[in-house]
Amino acid sequence: MGRIKNRIRRLRFDHDEMTQEELASRAGCTRQTIIALEQGKYVPSIELAFRIARAFGVPLEEVFQYEGNQEANG
Amino acid sequence: MAPLQKRALYSLVIGLVLTIALIAVLAAQGDVTAFDRDPNLRLIMYAVLIGVPLSYLILVNLSLRKPTQVDERDRVIVERSVRTQWLAVIFSLVAWTIALTEIYRDQGQVPIAFLNLIFVSVLIISALSQSLGILLGYWRMNRNG
Repeated sequence: MGRIKNRIRRLRFDHDEMTQEELASRAGCTRQTIIALEQGKYVPSIELAFRIARAFGVPLEEVFQYEGNQEANG
Repeated sequence: MAPLQKRALYSLVIGLVLTIALIAVLAAQGDVTAFDRDPNLRLIMYAVLIGVPLSYLILVNLSLRKPTQVDERDRVIVERSVRTQWLAVIFSLVAWTIALTEIYRDQGQVPIAFLNLIFVSVLIISALSQSLGILLGYWRMNRNG
């Protein structure tokens, strides 16, 4: 079983210390969801993941990383 | 606290207050047949009957239509809360069935006032348990992810 990690907090600070509220507004979700994502307590849908990546202007893989077994990929 | 979480909490508190008020009035009247005798009691019952689902509708259900207040995470929690709601309704019906069977077994009939009581209680429990399910969902998600 894998685990999905993210760099949202890091990316927010790299983007002029973007606030959680601002990111939530750009990604079309609530601030509470951004908080849950940063704490690793929620895994977003593919659509929300893309919207967050788009809010930062980076590819999806720069925001979310899958840490699973290598066999699962093959 | 998420907007939906806040609304579920308000809905739960309002529902509990109305329910406790109803139980207190029924207890003060002595027995369930007062429902047939006392028109004021019926009015109170109807007020609760309308009040609980209405507060749930306004506070929880309508907020689900506001995209700025609710997102996919909230919707996942609402979908999961249906399980709590379903269980609560089933258990309340089981409790009614066992209680009425045991109490009125010898008489072979149940006072008709219980029809209203069963319906009102299931409706109230349904609304309250979904609010409770939503709050539990947020608590579980914050704890376990």
